[in-house]
Amino acid sequence: MLRLPRFELRQPTSLGEAVTLLREEGAGAMVMAGGTDLLPNMKHELFTPRVVVSLGRVPELRGITRDPDGTLVVGAMARIAEIASSESVRKQAPALAQAAGLVAGPQLRRAGTIGGNVLLDTRCQYYNQSYFWRSALGFCLKKDGVVCHVVAGGSRCVAAASADCAPALMTLGAVLEIVGANGHRTVAIDEFWLGDGIVNRRLAVGEILVAIRIPPTPPGHRGAYGKLRERGSIDFPLLGVACRLDVGDGDRVEHGDLVLTALAARPKRIPQAASRLVSTRLGTEEFRAAIDELGALAHRQCHTLANVPGDQEWRREMIPVYVRRTLQAAAAGNGPVHHV
Amino acid sequence: MHLKVNGDVHDVDAPDHWTLLEVLRYRLGLTGSKQGCDKGDCGACTVLVDGEPMISCLILAREAEGREIVTIEGLWPLHLARGGEGPDPVQDAFDRYGALQCGFCQSGMILSARALLDRTPSPTDEEIARALSGNLCRCTGYTQILQAVQSIVARARGVEPPRRSWEAANVGRQAGER
Amino acid sequence: MASRDIHGIDAPWGAFRHVGRDLRKVDGLAKATGAAMYTDDIALPGMLHAKTLRSPHAHARIRSIDAADALRLAGVHAVITGEHLPVTYGILPWTQDETALAVGKVRFVGEPVAAVAAVDEDAANAALKLIRVEYEPLHAYLDPFESLARHDPPIHEGRKDGNVSKHVHLAFGDVDAALAEADVVIEDDYVFHGTTHAAIEPHCAVGHYGADGVLTVWSSTQITHYVHRALARVLDVPAHRIRVIQPCLGGAFGGKSDPFSLEFVVAKLAMTTGRPVKMLYTREEVFYTHRGRHPMHMRYRTGATREGRLVGVDATIVIDGGAYSSYGLVTTYYAGQLLTGPYAFATYRFDSTRAFTNKPPCGPKRGHGSVQPRFAFEVQLDELASTLEIDPIEIRRRNLLGEHTTTVNGQRITSNGFARCLDVVEHASNWKTRHGQLPFGRGMGVAGSMYISGTNYPIYPNPMPQAAVQLKIDRSGLVTVFTGANDIGQGSNSIAQYLVAEELGLALDQVRVVSADTDLCPVDLGAYSSRETFMVGNALIDACRKVRPLVVRAVADHWQVDPSRVRFVDGVVVELDDPPLQPAGVAVGGEARPGASPPDAAAGRRWMTAAEAFQLAEARFDTLGATGAYNTPTLGGDYRGGTIGAAPAYSFTAHVVEVSVDVETGRITCEKVWIAHDCGRALNPMLVAGQMEGSAYMGVAEALMEAHGVNRFGLHAGPSLLDYRIPTTVDTPELAALIVESLDPEGPYGAKEAGEGPLHPAIPAISNAVFDAVGIRLKHLPFTPGKVLAALRARKDAAAGTPAPALAGGAR
Repeated sequence: MLRLPRFELRQPTSLGEAVTLLREEGAGAMVMAGGTDLLPNMKHELFTPRVVVSLGRVPELRGITRDPDGTLVVGAMARIAEIASSESVRKQAPALAQAAGLVAGPQLRRAGTIGGNVLLDTRCQYYNQSYFWRSALGFCLKKDGVVCHVVAGGSRCVAAASADCAPALMTLGAVLEIVGANGHRTVAIDEFWLGDGIVNRRLAVGEILVAIRIPPTPPGHRGAYGKLRERGSIDFPLLGVACRLDVGDGDRVEHGDLVLTALAARPKRIPQAASRLVSTRLGTEEFRAAIDELGALAHRQCHTLANVPGDQEWRREMIPVYVRRTLQAAAAGNGPVHHV
Repeated sequence: MHLKVNGDVHDVDAPDHWTLLEVLRYRLGLTGSKQGCDKGDCGACTVLVDGEPMISCLILAREAEGREIVTIEGLWPLHLARGGEGPDPVQDAFDRYGALQCGFCQSGMILSARALLDRTPSPTDEEIARALSGNLCRCTGYTQILQAVQSIVARARGVEPPRRSWEAANVGRQAGER
Repeated sequence: MASRDIHGIDAPWGAFRHVGRDLRKVDGLAKATGAAMYTDDIALPGMLHAKTLRSPHAHARIRSIDAADALRLAGVHAVITGEHLPVTYGILPWTQDETALAVGKVRFVGEPVAAVAAVDEDAANAALKLIRVEYEPLHAYLDPFESLARHDPPIHEGRKDGNVSKHVHLAFGDVDAALAEADVVIEDDYVFHGTTHAAIEPHCAVGHYGADGVLTVWSSTQITHYVHRALARVLDVPAHRIRVIQPCLGGAFGGKSDPFSLEFVVAKLAMTTGRPVKMLYTREEVFYTHRGRHPMHMRYRTGATREGRLVGVDATIVIDGGAYSSYGLVTTYYAGQLLTGPYAFATYRFDSTRAFTNKPPCGPKRGHGSVQPRFAFEVQLDELASTLEIDPIEIRRRNLLGEHTTTVNGQRITSNGFARCLDVVEHASNWKTRHGQLPFGRGMGVAGSMYISGTNYPIYPNPMPQAAVQLKIDRSGLVTVFTGANDIGQGSNSIAQYLVAEELGLALDQVRVVSADTDLCPVDLGAYSSRETFMVGNALIDACRKVRPLVVRAVADHWQVDPSRVRFVDGVVVELDDPPLQPAGVAVGGEARPGASPPDAAAGRRWMTAAEAFQLAEARFDTLGATGAYNTPTLGGDYRGGTIGAAPAYSFTAHVVEVSVDVETGRITCEKVWIAHDCGRALNPMLVAGQMEGSAYMGVAEALMEAHGVNRFGLHAGPSLLDYRIPTTVDTPELAALIVESLDPEGPYGAKEAGEGPLHPAIPAISNAVFDAVGIRLKHLPFTPGKVLAALRARKDAAAGTPAPALAGGAR
């Protein structure tokens, strides 16, 4: 059996204890939420921490609640399956519920957490491999090596952001609550990302993502998530598209957003989405033209790389198709966009 | 550590980096949970944790302390303890419907099906397929597995299970050949 | 009785009691409850764990190996390298080109180089990292055309023919003349990519060496007997001091039908350390072990008359073999030899060449050697049909080979239910009202195939039986069957139980089966080429018919009646009326058991239990038992290679598949497969259906999803079940298993194979259905969405640039 490297497991029972532990252990410690990303990566010796700090017994991190102002507060340790089936998430943040419902397969959705999904390590076909495989390749920029095998001569890692929930959260304007030795901070999820595949998020050593705050959405809010993958289950995205349409009187779009993932190190927003969609009316030629144009824009702005396995030209061709289909699904109050 | 497996609390000694699957198989001798892919891709190691199907090769054994673990070995005794006769109806249906070819994936598959039926006694065919979509089987093409689960649902609904394709068809046999 | 006897197709006691019913498997509940023991479930006292160091180079010379540091590590008991196991082996006697650990050079990334035995897996893994190997990298051949064009340095030294693993050229009749005279000739190139078995159980072996000098190896193998022979050869231990046991097996599909490195390694390490040793491959190592379906580059020319009658087929095939021979010699023949049915053609020629490359070795996968050519040919046939504007099922009917005939390459055909297979899929799929008439984007395709039911040629030539069994008849009423057959999930142990219960008139629970243990069981050659039901079935009937007369005689004499008035039914012996009852009248309630009250059928008649009958017979004739055997008749064409592909019977299959094509994404969805398969007689229809469904599922997956290969660096492109994507429940089409029974004169009660044949047509039928759906011909596997979109664009461009083709295809 492929074994985990040795480590010491710590299981704090309060957030304070967890923060203290992490401060004491420093860079030699890693935080584990559901373990569904960390443990396979550790089996591949991508991480060999001396100490693993499990958040499984920290009660403060669980649950989905609503603040008086209508903000949905999703504990970082809320299970992905919980998000997918939560009535309040489905209602207030349909794109997130849909994205969560398409993460991996049923068992991993029960173990995996929303926090873990947001913090999912970037993925690459030359990186998510065993130590033996990577050593035979001569390693890579992201881990143990100096060469990028995706982009010849590349000096910046292009491993792909592959979390399904992240783009959905971006369209929702989510705010991340983070706790560390220096106290509590919040950061808009848009500001959280770095364009570096080696580490694509701004989370300091010793910090813990504790909750995700999803601001209230207006009554006319619609959202959808589209996921391209080979199989109808288990697989990571080959492309993820999240969109938002806030619809007002007369089916007129008052706010729109479009974010794609599984392309580069961080999810990619199509900046023209809002201006192009706002004030169009659903079901009209104008709306159809807008989503066609956004598909074409996304195709121009997004490039696919050989970071994710498979036919990258086809993945690129799928960008306008999935952009259109996801926006159409949102407009119709449907989704997710998925082939099965 | 203390692990509660199939109703018994076991005092187990294993290093921190051992997974629940490794402890079940190599410390407790509960080898019915299988290892197929090493890292959460196949579902053969699925066990029930607090009633939910989970991938035991991606759960640290110590993380399972304080939770109720049910492995494939636990289903039949549990069924008997509840006053049932014979094996658990899911196990029995898998056998009656030919779902057990090599059998290697089936302990995980059966537990996923058991949990589904515990949660949703009368699932649709699509719900069954989705609930089992994290358990890879290489032998059956899934047809007889799905039919096995559907047969239990049919019984619960008090209707006849749908005829299986080879029963319904038997069109190839010439009249009077037997 | 003799091993070549034909036992007939009739029920032994008038009417079948077990055969033909959807019975449970002998091991079903053991598997369902987690009680069944697989190789990795074995734990022996003091057992060590072994791990393999593998080559990071696709092609390199080994300059030196230094294991001193590894040996010094706490918990490490032994390190072995190629010098400890230098004897070559290979599944075929003519191509023994493998060693358990590399000797002198490595030929693919992942090839075993050294092995460590340690107190646990962690210590063994740590030791691997301390072994220093110095390599001199050599040019790596990743493309078969390159390795055929040049061979400096060669992949295997000392061969006359460079990197050619095997070349076969056979011609039957004057193909050139036939094609020159044909009204139409279809000529094109087809590519079959590689695929692998991906059985869910990884390979595992446990070795134990006793102080008495007996070596025992438990292995997840489907060929216990050949592993036994190879161990004796490589370890230089006499075969009689080796015992090989196959525990319950978690799937194989051909992927466990070679002797593998780990079997020799655990044996050697057990002998070296005096401790039991286990090695369990990781999933990644399973991908390096491979032996999957060969990539093939195929050029076919098929000629026909205006009426659609085939006149000649000409094939040129280049096969990518990977680094070692494995079954490659047979593959190279099968690529041509197995195409000559279910259609007749008067002339045929094939030229196939297997090239060595620096990749994981290919071997036999379900439908060995013939799935790839079948794909090419059935697509050609469809093209022929559309060119000639003949219905694709009709063109197949016009070329039926028929039964009790001989193929163009000299193979004997006995039973043949292919015509009925076509009828059945045509009817079940509503072909006549739907093919060619569905909306754009939806389509139906058909394909047919033929496959061997066992092969007439043992892997090493010898005159001994190919299958043998032994029966032990116990006073308790139990019959124990000992068979060397490998139950790999297909149910050969269950078939043994059904057949013996049928032959001896017993209840099912009166027969238990012991299998695949070389100490206990007579030799059987193993689970490959779909031989177990056919050959072991015949051997079982042979054994039963040796012992049955003794028991009947003992009862008849006891009752002082003629033996013809003694009948066994479900474990109860009854005296028949005079004149005897008609067979149908004998049926009794299914629950009759020894010791129970007399069954209805016995009412008013004399009766006894089978156990009592066995006791009478044992008293009369001494200990009861029997052996049984089977050998194929002499078969095959009278030319070099003419016996390869010769089988005592052939199975036949036809599929209709329905697909939908998303023209925007290029994604093909296989909606449904209607599978009609002629299995001779369905001994257990439920198990036959399971084989048909599993085969079709695997074929669909190979067409649409799976691809096994290396990347540009020579590394496996994705050695995991995440990256090698096998379908889940939601990716699998609806599968309808439609059983056709032709009752083969030589099969056990008329049975033939069902485990491999039903895979073949799925792949070409999907290509043909895509043509029906959107008018494109897919000739390069796998049928990825990107290829579909490219073909749709090409079709559109062609339509825009030139007048629409006159023939069908662009019509809708």
